[in-house]
Amino acid sequence: MELFFQSIINGLIQSGFFALSAVGLVLIFGVMGVVNFAHGAMTMVGSYTIWYLHAQHGSPYLFTLAIATMLVMLIGILMERFLFRPKRDDPLGGLICSIGVLFILQVIATVIGGEGPSKQVPPPFHGTLVLFETLRVPYQRIFSIGVAVLALTVLWFFLVKTKLGWSLRAVSQDREAAALQGINIDRTSMIAIAVGGAMAGLAGGLMAPLTNINPHMGHSVIITAFIVTIVGGVGSLSGAVMAAVLYALFHTFVTTYFSGTIATISGLLIMVLVLIVRPTGIMGKAVSE
Amino acid sequence: MTKTPTTVFQHRFGRRRFLGATAVGIGAAVTGTIPQIAYGGSKTIKLGMNIPLTGDYAPWGLPGLYGCEIVAQRLNASGGVEIGGQNYMIEMAAYDHGYDTEKAVQGFKKLVFEDDVKMVMMLGGSTVASVLPLSNRKKMLTTTLLPSDITPDSNYLVATCESHPLYNVTGVEWLAANFPNAKTAAIVTNNDAEYGLQSAATYKAAFEVEGIDVIDVNLHGFDVTDFAPIVSSVLAKKPDIFCMATSFYVTPLMEQLYHQGFKGKIISCTLDYYDEIIAKTSKEFVDGTIYQFPDFDDPKLTEDGINFPDPGGFDTSFRKDHPNDWSAVAWEYPAILLDWVDAAKAAGSIEPSDVVSTMLSNKNPHFVFGEGRWWGSQLWGLDNAVVGRWPVVTIVDGKARIQEYRSVSAWLDKNKDVLIKHMKALGLRTV
Amino acid sequence: MLRAKPKSLAGIGGLLLLLGILPYFLKYHHQDFLIFLIINVLVVVSYRLVTLTGEWSLIHAVMMGVGAYASAILTKSFDLSFWLALPLAGVVAGASAALLSYPLFRMTQFYFLIGSFAAGEAIRLCWIHFIYPFGGTSGISGIPPPELAGIDFLDPISYHYLVMAIVSICLITLYRIEKSHIGLILHAVHWKAPLAESVGVNTWRYRSLAFIIGSFFVGIAGTLKVHYLGTVTPNQFGIGFMVFILIWVIVGGYGKFYGAILGVVILSILDESFRRFDEIRPAIYGAILIASIMFLPSGLESIPTKFRARFFASKPAA
Repeated sequence: MELFFQSIINGLIQSGFFALSAVGLVLIFGVMGVVNFAHGAMTMVGSYTIWYLHAQHGSPYLFTLAIATMLVMLIGILMERFLFRPKRDDPLGGLICSIGVLFILQVIATVIGGEGPSKQVPPPFHGTLVLFETLRVPYQRIFSIGVAVLALTVLWFFLVKTKLGWSLRAVSQDREAAALQGINIDRTSMIAIAVGGAMAGLAGGLMAPLTNINPHMGHSVIITAFIVTIVGGVGSLSGAVMAAVLYALFHTFVTTYFSGTIATISGLLIMVLVLIVRPTGIMGKAVSE
Repeated sequence: MTKTPTTVFQHRFGRRRFLGATAVGIGAAVTGTIPQIAYGGSKTIKLGMNIPLTGDYAPWGLPGLYGCEIVAQRLNASGGVEIGGQNYMIEMAAYDHGYDTEKAVQGFKKLVFEDDVKMVMMLGGSTVASVLPLSNRKKMLTTTLLPSDITPDSNYLVATCESHPLYNVTGVEWLAANFPNAKTAAIVTNNDAEYGLQSAATYKAAFEVEGIDVIDVNLHGFDVTDFAPIVSSVLAKKPDIFCMATSFYVTPLMEQLYHQGFKGKIISCTLDYYDEIIAKTSKEFVDGTIYQFPDFDDPKLTEDGINFPDPGGFDTSFRKDHPNDWSAVAWEYPAILLDWVDAAKAAGSIEPSDVVSTMLSNKNPHFVFGEGRWWGSQLWGLDNAVVGRWPVVTIVDGKARIQEYRSVSAWLDKNKDVLIKHMKALGLRTV
Repeated sequence: MLRAKPKSLAGIGGLLLLLGILPYFLKYHHQDFLIFLIINVLVVVSYRLVTLTGEWSLIHAVMMGVGAYASAILTKSFDLSFWLALPLAGVVAGASAALLSYPLFRMTQFYFLIGSFAAGEAIRLCWIHFIYPFGGTSGISGIPPPELAGIDFLDPISYHYLVMAIVSICLITLYRIEKSHIGLILHAVHWKAPLAESVGVNTWRYRSLAFIIGSFFVGIAGTLKVHYLGTVTPNQFGIGFMVFILIWVIVGGYGKFYGAILGVVILSILDESFRRFDEIRPAIYGAILIASIMFLPSGLESIPTKFRARFFASKPAA
């Protein structure tokens, strides 16, 4: 029975990362209509920033986390300005460009970090919290889920309570109508990808002390983000968060009781099922094609 | 006097190294003739390494290249190697296949046809399987760290140093002898046929021989990023012993064991980068972990019967040039290099087929830990793997220390049927 | 009916002749490169057929693997002759595509992209998970080379001719399909699906047909590849290779039949010449990709047309 509760804890913690990545992807796709294949690589940049500045050069963790977030935000803004904006009417072209960026980011990581085994970042927070004598949560993981929840709350606040946030939602619902209302599409797109990139960078920075850091770590991130986005609903942020939690729990439980590969295969099959039965996802709205 | 460069970098290891290699290359081109005059008619031969220098398997390739460079340099500095009346300088030629089978084939061809190497050292696994047809056709001496690569017709493939997964039985033997209260074990490792499964079968056999009950075997894929659920699941069964077999994920597994409060015995095949593991957990936690690969400044390596010259000096040179790169294979490829030198001298020839037949006809082949014999036909079809004794290593006060040497040879004589049984059970190839 | 102009026939003939004698001038390393290049030509041309329907699938690389694994198992475990296994492998790939077309073609555009990617990954993970019969991450090795009248097919030159022969037959077939009645309908489905449907064309059936035929031929390409290498592993057919296929087709252009061939040949040769800079090769690829999308969206194949238009166009009417 304690395995069950431990699994719930394990799953909930994972969901923080899934949610951050998925939310970024949904924002970018919702507002700009383009699939950002480089999203996993952007997360990787966040992790590498922590490795390089914090682990290798001793910069304080929290400070470096902020830098990682802003660095990836900047990358996103540059991508929007020079790649996605000119290709606004050609989403396939935008997608291909993001693949190009993915390759370039991977190479930069390889050059900075050198080839060889994955990098490790010692966790800034040591120790484990023990609940009810049997359930264990490392403090580092508590920190990361805490920050993730905080970031998502701030995002929700931004989207629901601020004018800028409303304009983002308006553009994702109907770009032409929003433009007619006087909303600046260019600026809104840039904000969307800035926020999406920041989420990816933050996720990477939080993951850094908890995982193997290498140029290809973004691969599993993007697969998970896709699954979560599709299942949750392509236009819906709350759907993405819900799907993140559900998928994290699902993946954790299947891994615990069966195997990790079966968990991923099942996740992919569920995604295909959702695509067939209800392509807009659990909470999404139809996206015009 | 200009020193002959001992290494020719065939492929990229990073910008600095590339530039360094270019500089060395230019230097060599410019001063090419001088060393020949200085050493009085020495020829240069190249020994090939078709290994992963990048990617997930790099820890079991790249450090081996570094080690071979150091040993080759020493051999050349002491005048080279005399084989069949001719003096030779040794140069390493490396190709990075990144553990991709296509590239492994390309690498093999390049080393053999373009670089004219006299031996191809490889890591093992599917990359070796993909070059075996070529190895046979070209009669090229090929070495591997995995005897499980041997097939009934791989006549030019030998494993002269590492005999994975056979030596893992020594760790279990030592554990059982020193911790008689450990009665149950769980095995968690990756599910690939060449490392994880081979190793898991061997540990299972060894546990059975010692009367230890294996209560869980958890085989996971390479795509796992979060080990918390796996470790939780296994620890719920309350094993006395946690065995990682030959895992690529030793660090995250150790982290999880630490966080989830495991207090039992931990045993593994490798424990690479244990300094990093200690940094992520604690010294008290990592102390006592049992594995199979010594650091080379270990006092027990200077005992009689060890066939590796100046292990302490080698360790120091390595750590000086490559401070964070020591891994299990750092000394293994050089040991194979020394095995080659010994066999070539005995054969009086550098030709691969001569060296191979000399090696295989020697009942007491040159083996790093002393006496060895050829073994393997019962499991894989040919007696092309050297088995002898192997060190059992534990971490003591944050440092690797050999506890004792145990005989793999003797274990196999007594218990090979148990091993064959477990290998068959996991679907592994046996003759 | 295939009415070929004498000039283009001569051109193609010359090209084939050149290709036939080329291996004798190359080192072993590059002989291999040429064999894989010819195989990849079949891969991109078969992919182009799939894209003719207007849908971009991400499962093509996996279909190549389906053919490869099928042939590996048939020849190694069932001792079937290579010459039988080759078409059978194509059939297995085609049949898999047929099965998959039911769920996949209910989606369009973006969803089809993601759905095809997911289905492909799921198949690949099955190869990794089911050690019997697929061998897991290590895959299957010891795949026997073809046997015919004592020819040693491990020798690159012999295999080179084998690949040239088979790929040529496949390319001719693909060309004829495209120029045929079926090809016309496929084009119609691509450009004017609603119009096509209004005259009774079952677009779903034709999309599936293109997908199935494309998968058949790429399955054959997969077989050719692994019988030369001797091993098949799951990582050979992952998203990495799929991205290369995409790049070759997009940079080369997919409007004309030969566009994709241009793309794969030029990019592969460029890639090989950058071998010394292996560390930054993917970045060069990425930069080429971006530049191509930005500045040459119709692909390399559009260069001759633009060239002609610029220099030989008559002045526009005032």
